[in-house]
Amino acid sequence: MKRLGIVVLLACALGGAARAQQPPGRPWQELSPEEQRRAWENYQRYQQLPEHKQRSLGERYQRFQALPPQERQRLRQNYETYRGFDPGQRQEFGQKYRRWKSGQR
Amino acid sequence: MRCRRAQRWMVAAVDGELAPRRRRMLEDHVGSCPVCRRDLAGTGEVLERVAGLATQCEVPSRLEQATLRRVQLLAAAEEERSAARGWWAGLRAPALALATAAVAIVAVALTRGAGDRQPITSRALDQHRVAAQAPAREKPRMIASSERRAPKAAENLPVEPPPELAAAPDLFIELPILRNMEKLEHFEAIGTTTLDDGGEQSNG
Repeated sequence: MKRLGIVVLLACALGGAARAQQPPGRPWQELSPEEQRRAWENYQRYQQLPEHKQRSLGERYQRFQALPPQERQRLRQNYETYRGFDPGQRQEFGQKYRRWKSGQR
Repeated sequence: MRCRRAQRWMVAAVDGELAPRRRRMLEDHVGSCPVCRRDLAGTGEVLERVAGLATQCEVPSRLEQATLRRVQLLAAAEEERSAARGWWAGLRAPALALATAAVAIVAVALTRGAGDRQPITSRALDQHRVAAQAPAREKPRMIASSERRAPKAAENLPVEPPPELAAAPDLFIELPILRNMEKLEHFEAIGTTTLDDGGEQSNG
């Protein structure tokens, strides 16, 4: 029984080490053609950003990856809602965001 | 009469536009000057060949197809723009597209020479017209929109992604979320914030 516990612990440790060596997220080949297209288009936009913004996005990505899956899903859903806003709603949301932000300081 | 003047009059003489008196002077000179006689014969021959050139010529089929496609795209794009401006403004779109098609056809006919040729038939001209006049609101727009989106992915997508993209493709898929991360994290709180002057705000 004790041996079995050691084997399980070792397997977990090895698995964790292997995962740590992999790049975060899925490899390119596992993306669907639609995802590849989106990634490529966003990559081109990203290339046009100044370096400090690229760095900031990299940091946000690390933070995003560290979020629990349900929290990531919540952000995705919020983004879909935001995308569905009409221009008037977007403008109002932007104003609310600025108001909210100023209240945070 | 000097040779220089005779040579200036030759083209007009061959075209029959030289005044009778000048014509006689030229004929006298040419009768006594073998160089100008040869030049006059050469000028006549060149002008004859130019006159014999076809006013219409054939264009390569690929070029014709490409022109047709471009005209359709232009017509569809113009159609979309005019639909956005209002139904009455759309009346101008066919005229513009037709003019573009006409210019393209003339340019092609004048500039192209040899190669894989196919005559500009009346059917092809009809196709230009149909594409340009586009109450064909549906088909060209479908062509335009599908070609604007799908080939973008198919044509531009690299076979091998750049290392940065290959290293973290999800980063780029999620890029819009990352750019709006703060808004999205506090989406509900922001949504319940009031905009009244001096009003309360929810920080959720």
